[in-house]
Amino acid sequence: MENQKIIGVKNLSVTLDGRKIIEGISFGLDSRQVLAVVGPNGAGKSMLLKTLVGINKRYSGEISFAPGVKIGYLPQRFHVDFYLPMTVEEFLNLKPDHKYSLKEVLGLVGIPDAWLAQNLATFSSGQLQKILLAWAIVDQPQLLLFDEPTENVDIVSEESIYDLLHELQDRLGISIIIVSHDLDVVYKYADTVLCLNERMVCYGEPITALTNQTLSELYGNHAFFHHHHVGGHHHEENHEILNSQ
Amino acid sequence: MDIFVLTLISGIFVAAASGLVGSFLILRRMALMSDALSHVALPGIALGLVFHFAPIWGGLLFLFFGITLIWLVENKTKLATESVTGVMFVTALAIGALMIPEQDLLEAFFGSVTKLNVLQIGLQTIIALAIIVFILAYLRRLTLFSIAPDLSASLKVSSFKMQFVLLVLIALTITIGISFVGVLLMSALIIIPAAAARNIAKSFNGFLAVSVALAVFALASGLLIGEVYDLNPGIMTVMMSAGLFVVSLFWRGAALKHR
Repeated sequence: MENQKIIGVKNLSVTLDGRKIIEGISFGLDSRQVLAVVGPNGAGKSMLLKTLVGINKRYSGEISFAPGVKIGYLPQRFHVDFYLPMTVEEFLNLKPDHKYSLKEVLGLVGIPDAWLAQNLATFSSGQLQKILLAWAIVDQPQLLLFDEPTENVDIVSEESIYDLLHELQDRLGISIIIVSHDLDVVYKYADTVLCLNERMVCYGEPITALTNQTLSELYGNHAFFHHHHVGGHHHEENHEILNSQ
Repeated sequence: MDIFVLTLISGIFVAAASGLVGSFLILRRMALMSDALSHVALPGIALGLVFHFAPIWGGLLFLFFGITLIWLVENKTKLATESVTGVMFVTALAIGALMIPEQDLLEAFFGSVTKLNVLQIGLQTIIALAIIVFILAYLRRLTLFSIAPDLSASLKVSSFKMQFVLLVLIALTITIGISFVGVLLMSALIIIPAAAARNIAKSFNGFLAVSVALAVFALASGLLIGEVYDLNPGIMTVMMSAGLFVVSLFWRGAALKHR
């Protein structure tokens, strides 16, 4: 029997207000695998996740899930109003169908119990992301969609969230789709990479799929990506790939 | 029972509903929208006065027209909701003011609680109870939609539906509150208690509870002061809630310093 794909996407296109956002992409993901979606700003990466999770309903093509698959979703932006009076416990309890107790889920994402009684507005964006991760996995999803934040997350917490995701994937056996701007993350954590710039520029194992040619097609002929926000943080090989354009 | 006592009891439920609905409006940043929306009831009230039926039914009719319009503008067009609401609802206010006989105008603007009859008091109490029960039953969904629409949508909760539900709740709350505080001051009953509660509360449940308590206190004391000193109870209610808001600001300032 064929290995059951946790998600299969065929010829997916998204057009909003007459503007093509995503054009004809197809991919699949096995269970316990990590797929990274990379591409420049405005390439349709966030829209892809929103479409998969059902926030955007206007698409053509086919999205199929293995029967009974539950999805956890971490949006790119989770803005907490400074004045919002809500504790972490109250926030986590807004999610229906808890499969883990709050204590268990806090343990999984490495949050101290004391946070439960604290107000959401008192946390940094890196800490909020961990809280959001707890939110996303508390009902035991088989597939996690993670839209990497572009702003306000410092490198230290950014790194630890990827280690955390990696650990969760190992311990809970979940599949993950990560939207990322950081090729480091892709090389380090992803089994498969999908390069998206409206259409699918590359798809496959990171080592083979991310050639000079595809990267140049993806980001244009300058390595702006490298200067983008984590300059100096990439592996040497990435520098070479990007700078050799 | 004395009609004033009945009015007071009914007012407690109406204020509780206003405090709850107002909390969600504050979270959704819809405070000013609800203010503009309450004005749209005026032409409906005018119809009631001119054709001699209970003005709140005319108000309710026009409010539903108003929320449907807002909903359509937000979801089906690219028009800026703010400007459309601004233009339409000021126009509604003008048309309503034109239709209402001058001696009735002040009551429509600032409330006419003394003109309520037992039937109306009963009806608005039932509507208030329905609003409260509905909100408590769907508390989790309403809250999530109000603070994080994306997370709410990712749980397959339709944003279109939720938005419409909120608008219906606003329309119903305005309808039952108008007789107490009038068209112009209605948003004060909905918004001020919730805004004050947000300054004080540390948790979400606390926020809702304080908002309800402040709204009830403001309306009950407004009615009592109005009765005792023969002043307009609607105006007194708004003065009371504004006073509570000022207190909440000091409270917040003290709490922040303390931290």
